[in-house]
Amino acid sequence: MNFELNDEQLALQDSLSRLLGDVYGFEQRRTIAASAAGWSTAVWQRLAELGLTALPLPASHGGFGGGAADLMPVMRELGKALVLEPYLSSIVLGATAVRLAADEVLQVQLLPGVASGEVRLAWAHDEQGARHAPLWIEAHARQEDGQWVIDGAKCNVLHAPSAHRFVVSARIDAKPGDARGVALFHVDARAAGLACRAHRLVDDTPAGELRFQAVKAQPLGDPRNGAANLRVLEATLAMGTAAVCADAVGTMETAYALAVDYLGTRRQFGRLIGENQALRHRAAEMLVALEMSRSMAVVAAVAADDLDAPGAHADLARAKLVIGRHARAVCHAAVQLHGGIGMTEEYAVGHCLRRVTLIDQLFGDTEAQATRLAAMA
Amino acid sequence: MNLEPTASQAAFRAEVRRFVKERLPTDIRERLRLGHPPRKQDTVAWQRILHEKGWAAPHWPREYGGAELGQAERLILLDEMFRAPAPLPQVFNVGMLGPVLLKFGTEAQKRHFLPKLANLDLWFCQGFSEPGSGSDLASLRTSARREGNDYIVNGQKIWTTTAHLADWVFALVRTDGEGRKQHGISFLLIDLRTPGITIRPITSIDGQHHLNEVFFDEVRVPAGNLVGDEGRGWDCAKYLLMNERTGIANVGLCRERLDYARELAGRLTEAGRPLLESPKLRAEIATLEAEVRALEVTNWRFLLSADTAQKNPGFASVLKLKGTELQQDIAQLLQRIAGPAAMERRPHDGEGAGHWAGPLAMRYFYSRAASIYGGTSEVQKDVLAKTILG
Repeated sequence: MNFELNDEQLALQDSLSRLLGDVYGFEQRRTIAASAAGWSTAVWQRLAELGLTALPLPASHGGFGGGAADLMPVMRELGKALVLEPYLSSIVLGATAVRLAADEVLQVQLLPGVASGEVRLAWAHDEQGARHAPLWIEAHARQEDGQWVIDGAKCNVLHAPSAHRFVVSARIDAKPGDARGVALFHVDARAAGLACRAHRLVDDTPAGELRFQAVKAQPLGDPRNGAANLRVLEATLAMGTAAVCADAVGTMETAYALAVDYLGTRRQFGRLIGENQALRHRAAEMLVALEMSRSMAVVAAVAADDLDAPGAHADLARAKLVIGRHARAVCHAAVQLHGGIGMTEEYAVGHCLRRVTLIDQLFGDTEAQATRLAAMA
Repeated sequence: MNLEPTASQAAFRAEVRRFVKERLPTDIRERLRLGHPPRKQDTVAWQRILHEKGWAAPHWPREYGGAELGQAERLILLDEMFRAPAPLPQVFNVGMLGPVLLKFGTEAQKRHFLPKLANLDLWFCQGFSEPGSGSDLASLRTSARREGNDYIVNGQKIWTTTAHLADWVFALVRTDGEGRKQHGISFLLIDLRTPGITIRPITSIDGQHHLNEVFFDEVRVPAGNLVGDEGRGWDCAKYLLMNERTGIANVGLCRERLDYARELAGRLTEAGRPLLESPKLRAEIATLEAEVRALEVTNWRFLLSADTAQKNPGFASVLKLKGTELQQDIAQLLQRIAGPAAMERRPHDGEGAGHWAGPLAMRYFYSRAASIYGGTSEVQKDVLAKTILG
């Protein structure tokens, strides 16, 4: 067993932490969230300069070939600073699906631009009727004169409004929920028949609801090879799950740090509130939860990097479940320890709660993970 | 022993339910059912309708616009408001200031203010908390010095709910800086239009404007607006906090939200099946319902049995602690039932406002305040512990 980050991972984490310290203080984040786009191209540029946008992409296409374990410290820093930029949507989800599904020619066409940060992908998979069922795909793809076209709708597509291309899951066969008949496509964001209703999520992340009406789509891999497409879909969701687990841990670390700091500065009844045993115990419980979550972020990363290993799927579900529970508990406690100030928009701790609430809803919530695990047992 | 209401209580409940059914405007009911907070105009309109029956301030004497109802009838009324759901009578007016004026106010103050409080001709807010004085309320520093027939008020209040909607504030101010900190506090009624008052909005984590900061800069308040004796405002504050117990548990609210959870879970589907088919979810709702039943009976027991109240002087804290916890659990349950649909932040007004999922995540976020306002859970536990261990 080895839990240490290697030198490169440490160096990257360190650079990222310093960069975010400079450009992503909480007030800077508020300004970015309040802007029309809801994220900053300038910050995105800086992330690209650090090599982050290239991190998990193949070395043959401008990337560094990193895996979930390399992403873990990065996502944790992004979570700590409550970063809004399209890293999860483009680099983790979009690029993973392309990397795993597309042939060489298509990868050469799509990935170098993604690696440099100039082209942004978005992952269009979730649907209204699915909730937490990953294979509930109603979107349908068919061929018209040799051209694939998609009909259907996708919801809560992260960073849809600013994406250049969408990676879209659709069925060519079988009913929603069926493991057969799943295919993946990529679609130009300006394609005819594609409409995007832009909105924000509860944590301020920009997102969109997409409607496809006979939208021209290019296949990623062979649409008729359902088994291969299913593996790509699962691997992409696994990378996303591991990434948000690390993100949630970073968010918890911020909530925890804010609470501990407040306990050591706020005075009531003539003494620091952190001198009250009940509150000291609360901080101790938060630390226990945080340590469990740190462990499970490692578990998720290892599982996502070797999805064929026995128990990998179960470990991913366990990680998402444990982190989902603890992230909520830690953020609840952090808000409570702050009192009124913790309830305000202009203070960071409430945003931590909003972010972990959002993360819980991605890739299956805590209860959905428990149900999956129960079905595996 | 029996748990049945008396015949007159049952009849009263039926009468209230009929009245609410006939008179509550549908749009108000629907907004509240979706989980939106009541708008000011809704609270005003509904309170005036209730006031026709004396039900806006049911526990007040008739001569001031009340109906002289007992605790049981009051709780039944409140229960039925939650059940409808209808806006509650404005709590600062009716539940807090009214009783303080009835006990400590001069005859002139009663005649002038009480009818306006009951009919919501004046909207009062509560100016207690300050930036350095939250749980430790008695450490407050907003000052009032006497100048002729006026007090001159300087300082700052915070977390002032609905100050931006209010006409007046009842505030605790320091009229004497010497001695014990509970001494030297006075209870003042202040017209918010007085020069020198600035109200600054605080947006809370649900994106809403419920809270405010209120700044006082050389604000001149007629001495006739002092309630009770100068320097004895802490007695008023204690009375106010002790008096507002009937509704502290919010049992009716828990019930109504759980009913809504069931309704939604029966309607929403995951992968083609209603959520309510999940035995786990059904068990979870049932567990919360069991807890709410315990809270309901405890609330009644504390209200109706003098014996219990004497044995447990901290009973208001029992109700506040458990009621808060259940409200938060239920708000969280509703957020989870709404699921991915509540990931989208939707405004309370404007486009998308009517969407069912919009308010549920936001209401969950704001539910975290329930264990902070009105005495944090930590303060409630301290109160209880003191009754147990001294």
